[in-house]
Amino acid sequence: MNKAQKYSTDGAEHNHKAAPMVEEITDFEVLEIAVRELAIEHGLFTAEDHRRFTEFAESVGPAGGSRLVAKIWTDPAFKARAMEDPVKACLEIGIDWSKPTGFGTPSDYTHLTILEDTPTLHHVVCCTLCSCYPRPLLGMSPEWYRTTNYRRRLVRWPRQILAEFGLILPPEVEVRVEDSNQKCRFIVLPVRPSGTENWTEEQLAEIVTRDCMIGVALPQPGRTADVHPVHKARRPVHSSHHEEAAR
Amino acid sequence: MSQKSEVDPRRVGLLEAMRGQGKEWEVLAPCYGVTNPNPPWKTSLAAMCDCLDVSGALPTLDRRRAEDELAEAVYGDVPAPESQLLTLVHTMLNRGLVSERELASRMRTVRSRLEAV
Amino acid sequence: MKQSKTMEKSQNNIGVLEEHPLGMQPRFKVGDRVQVRDMPYFFYTRSQMWARGVVGTIAALTYSDLVPEDEAFNVDGRVEQYYIVRFRQKDLWPEYPFDNDTVQTESPERWLEPARNSE
Repeated sequence: MNKAQKYSTDGAEHNHKAAPMVEEITDFEVLEIAVRELAIEHGLFTAEDHRRFTEFAESVGPAGGSRLVAKIWTDPAFKARAMEDPVKACLEIGIDWSKPTGFGTPSDYTHLTILEDTPTLHHVVCCTLCSCYPRPLLGMSPEWYRTTNYRRRLVRWPRQILAEFGLILPPEVEVRVEDSNQKCRFIVLPVRPSGTENWTEEQLAEIVTRDCMIGVALPQPGRTADVHPVHKARRPVHSSHHEEAAR
Repeated sequence: MSQKSEVDPRRVGLLEAMRGQGKEWEVLAPCYGVTNPNPPWKTSLAAMCDCLDVSGALPTLDRRRAEDELAEAVYGDVPAPESQLLTLVHTMLNRGLVSERELASRMRTVRSRLEAV
Repeated sequence: MKQSKTMEKSQNNIGVLEEHPLGMQPRFKVGDRVQVRDMPYFFYTRSQMWARGVVGTIAALTYSDLVPEDEAFNVDGRVEQYYIVRFRQKDLWPEYPFDNDTVQTESPERWLEPARNSE
């Protein structure tokens, strides 16, 4: 086994190319390679397909979504185009939902819907069945989004979940949960916050974080990163098993 | 409404051996001062899941149902993305897509190859 | 409406026909009151979160798509409309504390029928 080599982040001074790396070869890394090689050899999929989808996974992140929202906020004509044909509007900002197959991926498809918030309507998105997520715009889904804890509880107790993210909304605001259980994929268009008048698109995009586009946070001046509940909540606090037993 | 189980929850020796060694990324990365929240193989894993769905070998809905079951029954204390990797392999083993023996053998080969670099 | 474009159906049904075959029109329009049909299985096969017969409103028409092959109520090769349906949380859970909250989900046409008691 390779000897672990510890890199200090201060090592940059001596070797300007050296960034800290995990120098160990873990069983997990080995397992991923091994199962992939065997799968290809068994004909479960092709190396070419795997390469294409890996490139896709590496190419996506939330920056595209942030830019989409910022542009909608600042450009009324673009907003009109985006609400009419969201996938086509994404293409205008360099996001192509048809990649990598020409028909999208087997999870993202090509049916983006933009959920527009208003001062009296707040959207929040989940996928109760399998955590579908608008990857071309937001990248890979965060782990909390994939847990049964989030997926099962959000449709039933949305305000409780939002509160756990630090978001409390007045009772008169309609909290609308969107369950993306078919082929449509959803992104929340938050209300542009006050205090951002005359901001550039770039400045606005900075405060439109991933959580804002899922609906568990609101964009705010000065808030440029998502912060999450510390507890991992891997097991449902409010177990659906108990609910089913009670029926 | 009861749903037939997607997966056999009995533990798999090969996978059990990897657990609890402190080698999960969220434990290991900080030890090396690495701030990237994801291990380098995470995108490859995501691609594998997409490929298995496209080819029909393991449709996404089936895979996710199995993952939810296994996360609850077996791998609840394993963090992401290792939990996703283990549940995927566990599911593939259950379905006979790969065998534990060939996986163990291939892991030895892969490790030798990587360590020789 | 979008221009029609036919995409080849992939093995896993990724392709979508965006134009209805001649004569087939969506059964519902935005604003229609609909009821989830009494069917042996629901959208959520693990946790039954939808009461039978709950009335919702058509919020949007999304796309038309080929009927999945494993559906029990399928007619092979048929294209059907998909909808976003909106439900009041209070209609789903009587004890839900907030009057205005809603939940939306996407449904193929065959899971829906006109609400029996339209308002």
